[in-house]
Amino acid sequence: MSARGIAATIGSAFAEVRSNRASFLTQVTVMVLNDAAWVVFWAIFFDRVGSVRGWDRDRVLTLLAVFMTGAGAVLALLANARRVGKLAADGELDAALALPIRPLAYVLVRRMDAINFGDVVFGVFLFVVVGDLSPGRVASFVLAVATSFVVLTGFLVTVGSIAFYAGKGEAGDFGLHAVLLFASYPIDIFSGGTKLLLYTALPAAFISGVPASVVDDFDLTRAVAMVGVACFFALAGAVSFRAGLKRYASGSVWTRA
Amino acid sequence: MAVALGSGPASSTDGRGGQAMTIEVDRLTKSFATGSRKRRRTIEAVHDISFSVGAGERLAYIGPNGAGKSTSIKILTGILFPTSGDAHVLGLVPWKQRRKLASRIGTLFGQRSQLWFELTPRQSFRTLAAIYGIAPERAASRVGELAGLFDAEDLFDVPVRNLSLGQRMRCELAACMLHEPEILFLDEPTIGLDLLAKQRFRELLVRLNEERGTTIFLTSHDVADIEQVARRAIVVNHGSVIYDDDVTAMRRTLLSTKLVEVGFERPVDAPVIDGVEVVERTATGLKLTVDTSRRSIREVLDTLLDSGVVADISVIDPPLEQVIAEIYGAPRA
Amino acid sequence: MTRHWFALTMRSAGQRVFADRAAVLVKLTFYVIVVTAIGSLWRGATDSNGGEIVGYTAAALFWYVATSEAAIVPLTMRMIEEIGDDIAGGAIAVELLRPASVLGVRLATEIGRGLTALAPIAVIGAVLAAVTVGAPPSALGAALAIPALVLAITCNVMAQHAVAAAAFWVRDARSVWFIYYKCVFVVGGMLLPLQVLPDWLQSVAFALPFSAMAYAPARLASGHVEPWLLLVQLGWLGVAGLAAWAAFSAGQRRLQVVGG
Repeated sequence: MSARGIAATIGSAFAEVRSNRASFLTQVTVMVLNDAAWVVFWAIFFDRVGSVRGWDRDRVLTLLAVFMTGAGAVLALLANARRVGKLAADGELDAALALPIRPLAYVLVRRMDAINFGDVVFGVFLFVVVGDLSPGRVASFVLAVATSFVVLTGFLVTVGSIAFYAGKGEAGDFGLHAVLLFASYPIDIFSGGTKLLLYTALPAAFISGVPASVVDDFDLTRAVAMVGVACFFALAGAVSFRAGLKRYASGSVWTRA
Repeated sequence: MAVALGSGPASSTDGRGGQAMTIEVDRLTKSFATGSRKRRRTIEAVHDISFSVGAGERLAYIGPNGAGKSTSIKILTGILFPTSGDAHVLGLVPWKQRRKLASRIGTLFGQRSQLWFELTPRQSFRTLAAIYGIAPERAASRVGELAGLFDAEDLFDVPVRNLSLGQRMRCELAACMLHEPEILFLDEPTIGLDLLAKQRFRELLVRLNEERGTTIFLTSHDVADIEQVARRAIVVNHGSVIYDDDVTAMRRTLLSTKLVEVGFERPVDAPVIDGVEVVERTATGLKLTVDTSRRSIREVLDTLLDSGVVADISVIDPPLEQVIAEIYGAPRA
Repeated sequence: MTRHWFALTMRSAGQRVFADRAAVLVKLTFYVIVVTAIGSLWRGATDSNGGEIVGYTAAALFWYVATSEAAIVPLTMRMIEEIGDDIAGGAIAVELLRPASVLGVRLATEIGRGLTALAPIAVIGAVLAAVTVGAPPSALGAALAIPALVLAITCNVMAQHAVAAAAFWVRDARSVWFIYYKCVFVVGGMLLPLQVLPDWLQSVAFALPFSAMAYAPARLASGHVEPWLLLVQLGWLGVAGLAAWAAFSAGQRRLQVVGG
């Protein structure tokens, strides 16, 4: 029963985001141009620099393809993932709690954002253009994108759940921009403490770098580890939200100064 | 003036033929810790409240802002859990069986929307029907019924963004009724609506109750909501129930003041009577307030009839605003 | 209006920046993250190329990035969108009789905000660079970079207003801020020193105003003492200011005729 409800909710979210056709197309176009500008940057950069810590132009473009498709899909399809904190702090989960449906799933799929469809479109386009399209590589790309998608969603829900305890969702906002920024660069340029951070608490490595490396050069161990990390973040998100909801139900969020 | 708790249908053991009450609240308490870490305070939003509601009742749960109305309704709909005490709605414990209860009740919070803003209500209804597990054909016929009942045939196919607030609230109400809930909980539903829209909304609630037997539980601080919708009123202040009775009984028992309007054939001097105040006077008319604890209406009428030839006379109950204000103002029982 | 209204507006806008402590902290943290990321990228670049790229050493590049980002982060990225919203919303229409002062107030506000946010960012940037790669390659260059940063921010704000004025004519001109900032990133020298660009693109970049907004102060701070960059900035400041004034005047005349 819940599955049918979730499916219908996705349908409505999609219908809503498409409702203004002209605006939808404009936003997608703007994002495609924006993403193209990044490709221009990297092309110029590698033309002069050659390679950086084992990353050359094609490897970085593959990274971007995975990143834009995966992260773009999260922001486009699960637009509320980045807003969990704000929804919690503003008491907007009441509407979800009034329905006989799983609140987290409902909240996540209830809204889509047109502009990030541009990222998905461009990311797929980039993948098609950069590498060969052998079935193995395509399958790796799908796995990579799925990993990136799940890790980012889990991360955003976890960080957003901080708002059940403190703040108005700023942690979620900040976490999003930080992780996206780091994920848009080849992971190996970072070292020491920063690199450790990006493989753990701020999982940018698993949103772009590691999945992309699996596309370029499939390694079973790395692939399995990657999937494991994705499962971890999915679980972390679910657990955090659930704990946060208990606090929401105590009214402590609502009456915070 | 001490306020006695009304003797209305408050206890679950009294005469409804022993059947289980639709809503049973027993010594419900809810306290919150608020403030910064340095200045922690505990506020008791709801303090030891008890009442029962039978099926098919129309109840207004009223009180000033901060009285605990929203907290109570959130507990009854399973959104909040209480600090202590019990509540059962349709035999279920709301905060423990939220999803199960959600398919049998409807909830309308004035400031929160269930409808998608860019879509038409009909499109939202289809999705909500899926969420409630209503088969598509049944849902379609139900929407048709609601369109007729709400006189909203032309509204359901307009995107919500193009509807006025009053029209939107009617569609929100329809959305709550899709799954034919046994109880409808409404939290300040008429806020922000213009007078006509409020009127139509209230009529709808009454119709839903009379035609389908839906229990109506409405929180409000708009007195007209009570006057026009409710048959029973529970008044809360500072988290406690301070009055619980039928609306008409409330008016009659609570205030000892009555208004008397009298018109004479010829100008007369206003009679001076103890316990009677002249509020207004025209050439041939008088408006008086009578403190019936000091002077009975009968005596006043006798005196007036003796003062001159009476053309017209009427005795009016005080407006509900006055009644409520008096209840709020009274010391806690 | 009092004679010093521009300065007063700037000051009050600046004061409001610091009132929101959390937002300032977020901006500062973001700045550190960005400089770390791009700095690391260029570090990797010099490492693969014998310690130098187009005449910049690793240390010079870090000072470059710290400065170019300091010229951009203090500003609200969505400024063009916000101005566009004001125009579309009719807030501008209120002051129809005095176009200069409407623009003037807006400019003073944004410049005040930008320069106020610049102060802590510049300090943190200098500390970060000093700790990471040591002293600036040229003390004179670093000294010149300070007025260059002020000019960069002012010029940027002016130009954004000129661009945002398109909202007087076209409804959805607001999303153009994406493209504006991409220009600043690539041909404005924020992400890379302009010398990295292929020759033909370098010529184009030097002919555009974006180079005054990030490249100029960064070039100076990275040890290349080219004081004429300040004159270039002043020139673009004048052009941008004139363009903004002309665009706003024309736009508001149009509002008067068309009726908003």
